[in-house]
Amino acid sequence: MDLQLVSLEIGACLLGIVVLLVDLWTPAERKAQLGWLVASGLVGVFCYSFTIFDQGTGTGATGYVKDSLAVYFQGYFVLSAVLVVLLTQSYATRIRSGISELYAFTCFALAGMSFAAGANSLVLLFVAVELITITFYVLTSFERHRLRSLEAGIKYLILGAASSAIMVFGIALIYGSTGALDFHGVARAATGLNDDSMMLLYRLGVLMTLGGLFFKLAAVPFQLWVPDVYQGAPTPVTTFLSTGSKAAGIVLILRLLADACPPLLGEAWLRQLLALMAAATILYGSLCALRQRNLKRLLGYSSIASAGFVLLGLVTLSDQGAQAVLFYLTAYVFGVVGAFTVISVVSEESSDEDISTLANLHQRSPLMATVLTLSIISLAGVPPLAGFIGKFALLSAAISSVAVHPVMPWVIGAALVGVVISFYYYFTVIREIFWGKGRFWAEEAPSTEPLPCPRAAEVVLLTCLFGLIGLGLFPEPILFIAGEATEYLFSAN
Amino acid sequence: MTIGLEHYLIVSVVLFCLGLLGVIIRRNLIVMYMGLELMLNAANLALVAFSHFRDNLDGQVMVFFIITVAAAEVAVGLALIVALYRKRQTNDVTDLTSMKL
Repeated sequence: MDLQLVSLEIGACLLGIVVLLVDLWTPAERKAQLGWLVASGLVGVFCYSFTIFDQGTGTGATGYVKDSLAVYFQGYFVLSAVLVVLLTQSYATRIRSGISELYAFTCFALAGMSFAAGANSLVLLFVAVELITITFYVLTSFERHRLRSLEAGIKYLILGAASSAIMVFGIALIYGSTGALDFHGVARAATGLNDDSMMLLYRLGVLMTLGGLFFKLAAVPFQLWVPDVYQGAPTPVTTFLSTGSKAAGIVLILRLLADACPPLLGEAWLRQLLALMAAATILYGSLCALRQRNLKRLLGYSSIASAGFVLLGLVTLSDQGAQAVLFYLTAYVFGVVGAFTVISVVSEESSDEDISTLANLHQRSPLMATVLTLSIISLAGVPPLAGFIGKFALLSAAISSVAVHPVMPWVIGAALVGVVISFYYYFTVIREIFWGKGRFWAEEAPSTEPLPCPRAAEVVLLTCLFGLIGLGLFPEPILFIAGEATEYLFSAN
Repeated sequence: MTIGLEHYLIVSVVLFCLGLLGVIIRRNLIVMYMGLELMLNAANLALVAFSHFRDNLDGQVMVFFIITVAAAEVAVGLALIVALYRKRQTNDVTDLTSMKL
């Protein structure tokens, strides 16, 4: 097997180990600075693996493909990992036990994600998902001295392990009914199935496997873990959870649906189920976010709602829908990382994540106020920012598939209701930044002291600012690349 | 009576449901964790049985991966439970209530 094919994954793992070793010879006060090393290392490794891809070592190994879809997602994962590493660096003062381990685990999770991007067999799907999930159990409970972090870790552990057990059983059923583990073998065998009981087994297996992946995506009814885990986990981990881990679920669902279940795609029940889940997820996320005062919990519910929008694109089961999903994710990463970075800096100063801590942010730090406002506006989907183009592309893909999907108008209706509701809670955050009065029980007015922003966080904020505006004004290049990446998905039907 | 594929599958489904039931109704973290292991092993049993009756070794290889991953999961999980016990002197999930709406 060609090792160059997996150079990105090997590079990410090696980088993680190198950081752990370098940590031994680094004086304690400089350990946080290793973040620059990790971030530049990740970019370098990605560039190296990208040039190799260009030279045409495309596919060939069993179970793993490096096609343009894989490369798109790997680029996405590296982008979010780099931003998360820099965010971690600015969070370093609050980590009591070894910042380098946090960097290393981010690298290992990235390796799992990029394996997921190229997974082409149920074995690699399982191993990649577990590599991500087990790493995140550790990351979530990294601040062991804080009960909430520990509690979030345990909740994630129990629910995550249960969902992977369900997924493994689904894989066993798929294997039992088709006798194959790689996606194309499964699809071939399933097309030839004429035994009703075997077909039932196969359907059940696909459903259970999808269930395990929907858990990563946080779609209703697999969303219960999100609010608590998002609130309890350290903020950089929450960011990675809502960008990287979620997208890993999405790429696996895309590959599983497109490559391993062509016989099921024509069946109405699958579409109706996905449509129902999309509508329920959007409405659940939007409605629950309405009353939230804790910023991380609020963004947790908003992340459930956006999982619903991603599902809206998946329901179409078309390459146009998949293209919109890819673009939406790319726009989403800038919005989410921007918002979480500001929350991380603000909550460090006030040691609280209540929404009222944002009061007077526009006087205290114009940069953070600008980025948070733009991130929130982009997440809400207001033109001309990146999030608007993403939601627009998803909705137009959904509308153009109304002819084949009789339930689609209802789902689009639910999505529009969700968008309207989301305006309310997103603009609560903006109101708090510019017109916030602070805590209603506090005696003195909210502080107007300038709020210093660490250098690494500044880099992240500027990148997000650039991404939000750039993708909003010039979406064509990314839309084009996303179109290239998803061109051959669902081409069978 | 010869023992066929369906017998193995019935045992596997029963094990899986018992494990799931354990996760859902028990409140002790260690017992819930045992339930989770039971679910994974139910899947292993199904994979090995399918593999045997289909004369195809892929399923057995998958089982090796599952066993390895389950071991890693147990290591992390028990470490978390121990950390929680040190902090709170409890391993009951009903005490995990520091975060609410």
